[in-house]
Amino acid sequence: MADRPLRVTVALMLLAVIVVLAPGRGRAAPPAVATVDWTLAETLLGLGVTPLAVAQVDAYRAWVSEPRLPDSVADLGLRMQPNMERLARLAPDRILISRMFTSLTPRLERIAPVSEFALYTPDSDTWEQMLALTRRLGTLVDREAAAERLIRRTREVFADCRGRIAGRDVRPLLMVQFMDARHVRVFGENGLYQVVLDRLGLHNAWPGPTNYWGFSLVGLEALAGIDARIVVIEPFPAGVERALADNGLWQSLPSVARGDVVRLPPVWSFGALPSARRFARYLVDALDHGQPEDAH
Amino acid sequence: MTPARACGLFAVALVGLAFAGLHAGGGIAEGVSVLAAGPGADQASLALFFAWWPRLATALLAGGALALAGVLMQQILRNPIAAPTTLGVASGANLALMVATLMAPGLLGAGREWVAMIGGGLSMALVFALAWRQALAPVVVVLAGLVVNLYFGALGMVLLLFHQEALKGLLIWGAGSLAQTGWGGAAFLAPRLLLGGALAWLLLRALTVLALDDASVRSLGIPLRRLRLAGLAVAVFLTASVVSTVGIIGFVGLAAPNLAYLAGARRLGQRLVWSTLLGALLLATTDLLLQRFAGVLPTLIPTGSTTAALGAPLLLWLIPRLRLGGGTAAAGGHGIGRRHPAPARLAVMIAVALAAGVVFALCLGRATGGWAWTAPFDWGVLQWRAPRVIAAAASGVMLAVAGTLIQRVTANPMASPEVLGISGGSAIALMAAIFLLPAPGGVTLVAVGTLGALAVLAALIALNHRSGLRPDRLLLSGVAVTALFDAVRGIVLAGGDPRAQRVLAWLSGSTYYVDLTGAATVAALAVVLGLASWPLVRWLELLPLGASTAQALGVAVRRARLVLLLLVAGLTACATLVVGPLSFVGLLAPHMARLLGFARARAHLAGAALCGATLMVLADWVARQLLFPQEVPAGLVASLLGGAYFMWGLRRL
Repeated sequence: MADRPLRVTVALMLLAVIVVLAPGRGRAAPPAVATVDWTLAETLLGLGVTPLAVAQVDAYRAWVSEPRLPDSVADLGLRMQPNMERLARLAPDRILISRMFTSLTPRLERIAPVSEFALYTPDSDTWEQMLALTRRLGTLVDREAAAERLIRRTREVFADCRGRIAGRDVRPLLMVQFMDARHVRVFGENGLYQVVLDRLGLHNAWPGPTNYWGFSLVGLEALAGIDARIVVIEPFPAGVERALADNGLWQSLPSVARGDVVRLPPVWSFGALPSARRFARYLVDALDHGQPEDAH
Repeated sequence: MTPARACGLFAVALVGLAFAGLHAGGGIAEGVSVLAAGPGADQASLALFFAWWPRLATALLAGGALALAGVLMQQILRNPIAAPTTLGVASGANLALMVATLMAPGLLGAGREWVAMIGGGLSMALVFALAWRQALAPVVVVLAGLVVNLYFGALGMVLLLFHQEALKGLLIWGAGSLAQTGWGGAAFLAPRLLLGGALAWLLLRALTVLALDDASVRSLGIPLRRLRLAGLAVAVFLTASVVSTVGIIGFVGLAAPNLAYLAGARRLGQRLVWSTLLGALLLATTDLLLQRFAGVLPTLIPTGSTTAALGAPLLLWLIPRLRLGGGTAAAGGHGIGRRHPAPARLAVMIAVALAAGVVFALCLGRATGGWAWTAPFDWGVLQWRAPRVIAAAASGVMLAVAGTLIQRVTANPMASPEVLGISGGSAIALMAAIFLLPAPGGVTLVAVGTLGALAVLAALIALNHRSGLRPDRLLLSGVAVTALFDAVRGIVLAGGDPRAQRVLAWLSGSTYYVDLTGAATVAALAVVLGLASWPLVRWLELLPLGASTAQALGVAVRRARLVLLLLVAGLTACATLVVGPLSFVGLLAPHMARLLGFARARAHLAGAALCGATLMVLADWVARQLLFPQEVPAGLVASLLGGAYFMWGLRRL
């Protein structure tokens, strides 16, 4: 343990050197932060800050994928049970958690100050929460300007996307992600995808309730009788695509029968601004390159 | 009440609900014509043809098949609480599907049913292999099934913890959703139910004889082992067919045969027919009822788990009315293992092993660079390890003592504190807290968990007061609570709510959440409660001999049972709050002690406590190192280590 201060000093010195050498970057190094939450991790990366450590790094790469997590980021183990010994050795300046991990706070505080963020909580506007989260995170890591820039750029992307579909008669959308061949998550109120739809002026066709995270788990038959264009968010679970090919109910849904189903690459369903921006781009690209809407 | 009348009642309810469902889905006349003429172009008739009707058919077929399998199991295992899933079919199928999803998704493309079938078949083969030398004796088969269930369940839980995103679809399957999108499921099940029914009918005469004891069956010249193998194989085939198409559906296979019996079906032939009908009607009626609530909640209401949850109260009502064999359902389990000539020496040896284990667990561990030996007084590292080692040892002791007490009181080798329902009660309360409170902290959770345990204890005492706390009834009530817990867990996990991660992490039994204060408290409680069991060894020696013998020898049976039950409840509640409800140390440690040769009550208690502590400390250490920096919960590792040992012991029997 005696060598820890030494190692930290060396690391800080190296960081300082990198910062000084980095072209056009005159600002101080941000504090080294560790987080167990993927949404906070993606926002940090969106602010140009590489976290010291993130939980379940491999799973982040599989399910959030972008913004990319650099190889230098240490793995803390399970999100629900980050490895305390390793975290203590890494000695972050600050630990970021979301509401779900509150019960860990007392012990995390023995390692470093803990900041808790709320997103996807009951009775709150998800978009406003995303903005507040981004700004607060920016303040914590001394990147206020980057936070404002991230928000501005996100708004610009939304405006650009809205422009590309303006004046077109876009059918209401039904955004689903397959769980197995018979069940889907339908996304609606409170969710990330809904936030994007609202910004783009698009309509969601799902009439049912959704949970805090903005989805509802339903059997495929719940989609029958809703006239909408179906947006499938990948990935498909193993074997489902093949099973859908001879699934009578799926094949007879209006959108499938018309052949105007849209498929989007994976986007983390519970993300913040970086995921929202990516989803907006994917969605509008797909609507642009898919069949013209007035062909029905 | 006759079986026919019971079925009639359900049939009336079913038809009523079906008409209501059709009416809501586009009209009764149209609904019926769709079935005959195929779907029209409109959405309503498509939904009726591809979803509503196939779902009804599947529910009827699955319910019937499970009930039929239940009758066979209960007859062959001579145990009214045997269920189609007793032999590990569902957990084997579950594990096979998980492994296929993660490692060979191509297999699932070829057909999920087949993967599940193979998994279920393999786990059954394992159970049979374990019990083969004992001529598939019911007690041994049940024990083997139990341990295979535990083992595969623990493996599945580990995979789930590490790959929750990839496996979320399988959680829906695990909760048994009957949602259909075509006629494939019904077409798969129908011929299999017919085949199973025909085979059961062929075996009928021979199986009837199984109600007699083994010696009488043999004297009739019936090959006992082959008969049991054939009967169980039919039951497993039926179960695997259902499980592979619609997932895990509890309760029906257990309850329908018992309801049919209570309604007056006594001969095996009658029971087969009426149970099958009743099971079909029961599941289909429940499913139609649940469909009326679909769309109200933002989550799926999986029929399998929900049926089991709704059925738990019915099960509690049923239990006092069950025919239980004279004495106990599973007498003879105590013959396991030989008595060690010098138990004291053996105990000292285990204690030394435990001490060495504690030192290793504290000092040796993996770090970022590789393995590292830490000096014993480096508080910087010990502050993270010490509470966990202490808590692991203490909860191991508590669960082991509780398990020994309950196994001796009930004279049932299947009994364990987990089965008593106390930990299930606190688990249900904790899940409710995690989902209903905004952001519950550690103290809140402990309080809520304790309340849950106390509530279940009160219910157990109230329900069993009249029978004088008869142990077999107590265990059955516990089985009902545990079934409720399983069902609630299934529903919670199937919904895919991100908070389920937290439930999962806690349920899998980790020492992760213990801090030093908590660990010290648990250790103190373990010592106090452990010592409290010491003066009770006379009861523990006499109660297994049966109530009347114990009474004759001067034991106030009812009071003794109440005191022991309270003690077990206290021990279990404390341990559950630390390591979760699924460690199964309470089941395994007493058996391990027995296999090692601790036979007398006092030696058994001490030996089990030592085994429990050693097992938990070892499990906790392995759990922290195995996949560093990720941690496998200690409870799961304990199940895997203990389960492997247990299987080895069963083979040697």
